[in-house]
Amino acid sequence: MMSLGPAMFYVFAAILVFFALSVIMSPNPVHSALYLVLTMISLAGVYFHLNAQFIAGVQLIVYAGAVMVLFVMVIMLFDIKQELRAFTKGLISGALKVASAAFVAGYLIGTFKDVSVGSQSASLAGNTDITKELALMLYSKYVLAFEVLGLLLLVVAVGAVAVSRVKGGTHAKH
Amino acid sequence: MPSIESLNQIGLNHYLALSAIIFSFGMIGVLMRKNVIVMLMSIELMLNAVNLSFIAFSNFTANLNGQIMVFFVMTIAAAEAGVGLAIAVMIYKKFKEINIRYFEQLRG
Repeated sequence: MMSLGPAMFYVFAAILVFFALSVIMSPNPVHSALYLVLTMISLAGVYFHLNAQFIAGVQLIVYAGAVMVLFVMVIMLFDIKQELRAFTKGLISGALKVASAAFVAGYLIGTFKDVSVGSQSASLAGNTDITKELALMLYSKYVLAFEVLGLLLLVVAVGAVAVSRVKGGTHAKH
Repeated sequence: MPSIESLNQIGLNHYLALSAIIFSFGMIGVLMRKNVIVMLMSIELMLNAVNLSFIAFSNFTANLNGQIMVFFVMTIAAAEAGVGLAIAVMIYKKFKEINIRYFEQLRG
């Protein structure tokens, strides 16, 4: 599969930009989480068209599935309502923050304008067993990093329980 | 000025520009929101933008190392979300509100 045609690319880009903007603009955190799920799903579609089929599946399962379920469950735990003041105070500082982010984006886009890293010649398009090659690389060249990441996940699981633990267990009196 | 041809031929730079725009949205979210959970979601947005640029480079240079790197970024993002949400739970238990300004009073 080649990369997206122009029309499809602009449709995907518009959808992604709209959802990403909705994540940061909606005052209700539940709506933010749901818009973030939609952003992840659209990104999975873009990955699929960029010949990263397996990564697209992992994105759907891990991000749109597991990580977002974690977010939504924590939000439910907190009983969050519509926030009255969702954004930080200060008009000038807010304008400066938006301007700095816009500067970063503009600077990056200006840099990318002339990028031409094999944009015509090389592509993964003809490669049919990307997932197999990915697995071979992950378990040979990158096996040490893979194991270290497993260790990291174990440490994080223990650490998250230790940080959010309630004294006296789940039946503690408040 | 971009010509019509550069708008019609979707190449690496288009995906990188999209990635930069999403990254800047995540940056605005981290800078301007007060809710810790929404800030964590904005961080996820930024990580996803970086993943998009990795995948785009991987496709347009026919090099699979970028996709491996996306795996690692995803794992670390999940770990970061777990720890961040645990800290958010702690803030809520102490102050009954998840505002970033309570972060500095969170001793121990």
